[in-house]
Amino acid sequence: MIEFQGRSLVGGYGIGPALVSQMPINFAAAFGRAANAIPGQRSVINDRHHDLFKKKIKGTVLIFSACIGSTFTGMVLMQIMYKKEAPVAMVVHATDPLIVAGSVLANVWFKCGIPVVEYDRQDMFNMVRTGDIIEVNGDNGKIKICS
Amino acid sequence: MILEPEQDAILKGAQGHVMALALRTLVDYGKAFGAKRLVSIKSAHLAGSFGSISYGAYYIVLDKFLKAGLRVKVPTTINPRPGHDLSLLNRIAFGKQRTLDFKMKQLGVTPNYSCACYEHDNIPEAGDYLAWSESSAVQFANSVLGARTNRNSVLIDLCSAITGLTPEFGYLLEENRRGSILIRLKIKKMDAGALGFIIGQKIVNKIPVIEHYHFSRSELKIMGSAMAAAGGIGLFHVEGLTPEASDMQTAFAGGRPESIITITQDDLNSLRTKYPNRAELVVFGCPHLTCEEASALAAQLAGKRFKKIVWFCMMPQAKIEFEKTDHYKTITKGDAHIKLYSHCPLSALTVQLHRRRVLTSSGKLFYYLEGAEYGDLEDCINACEIN
Repeated sequence: MIEFQGRSLVGGYGIGPALVSQMPINFAAAFGRAANAIPGQRSVINDRHHDLFKKKIKGTVLIFSACIGSTFTGMVLMQIMYKKEAPVAMVVHATDPLIVAGSVLANVWFKCGIPVVEYDRQDMFNMVRTGDIIEVNGDNGKIKICS
Repeated sequence: MILEPEQDAILKGAQGHVMALALRTLVDYGKAFGAKRLVSIKSAHLAGSFGSISYGAYYIVLDKFLKAGLRVKVPTTINPRPGHDLSLLNRIAFGKQRTLDFKMKQLGVTPNYSCACYEHDNIPEAGDYLAWSESSAVQFANSVLGARTNRNSVLIDLCSAITGLTPEFGYLLEENRRGSILIRLKIKKMDAGALGFIIGQKIVNKIPVIEHYHFSRSELKIMGSAMAAAGGIGLFHVEGLTPEASDMQTAFAGGRPESIITITQDDLNSLRTKYPNRAELVVFGCPHLTCEEASALAAQLAGKRFKKIVWFCMMPQAKIEFEKTDHYKTITKGDAHIKLYSHCPLSALTVQLHRRRVLTSSGKLFYYLEGAEYGDLEDCINACEIN
């Protein structure tokens, strides 16, 4: 087991398989499509510019570089958290007000936000692979690679 | 974060449970970024203007505000409508539009319905604190007008409008507004949409300082919006042009750039489709056009025999103004191919059975719209008259 100390942005605990991308994510472009209105399909990345195109983020620990694009982001994230199709946690290399907004809004209004941790060094990103089991503690910022 | 006594009382419920939640949202949001206090804002701008059936959680929160009898405390404008009445499919997909419009009116929001709020209804001054969403409007307010707003999410914007407050972090603070990457241009023919798109892709979330170029206001608008779609940039500087970059020294606050990136004509050209003439629909106006911008386009389109449908998406009052001009009469003389709208072209074209091939010189629309192709202004203008 390897542990990394990140910076806590939104509290909570989550464990699940990693879904890793070195690319930034435009959440509105990814999840704002007509196809995302269908139950069970809400968390499919439908952004043709992205390397996770057609991947589902539900139940994963989403590990990615940054958040780009639309200010719809917080509303889109809150909606997938509210519909229980969200990742169990997010780890971001460089944070942004929009990712934090999604989880804060879900927590304050619906008590269903997920932990968000910023990890701004490269070592973990070089080591972690999609499918590795990751544990994220949003309260103290610790990220563990369990397998 | 240190709250003033009155803010602390609101958080404890002095103005009701829902007001307390609105403030709690802003406090938790600010804490994640180490904000030390909440500051008063001059205005808000909301991006949540599409009555899409997919955003149930959003409407639940709006209803809580309404039931609590809350209204916005500062002048607050809102993004365009989504083109809900354009087709049967749009009427279904945006089936919540009428109720959303009604709710926004009840909340006291100005019904400007434009993303380019800074052109008419919500014009900030340099140094003003704002709580805006809409990535292109945030970009323009920060970069071109010298006002100060973070890239706020939908609903964060409304919590700020209702409390009149925003947490002080990010672009609100002087030390976070200095440039970090120097952009050099080796360009013969400017293409602001492509330039913004490429800067966004290359530098993602840093603050670019572009070496001097005589961008027009329209070019700054279209370049900034593309940067904020292909990247997460909410502030850029242009040497000797934008308000916080009188020279390189000022733009970098005496420091040195982290890195230097050169953008060439080939980079810009690489975004352009090889087959602009195959498009079925040419779209101008993402962000929304002003009357002057529409008139300038019309002057370039004058005398052409349109073979394709051409959309001008305009601020509502600019559309009324433009319809009275000779430019408008010239390009529409006996010709039904030009359509003036005030809806958002992106949302209007999102739900379609037959996906039309769209050509646009907006880097932002190109990023978001499935099947859209990019052309520079000349590609788009020429494509209008080729079948």
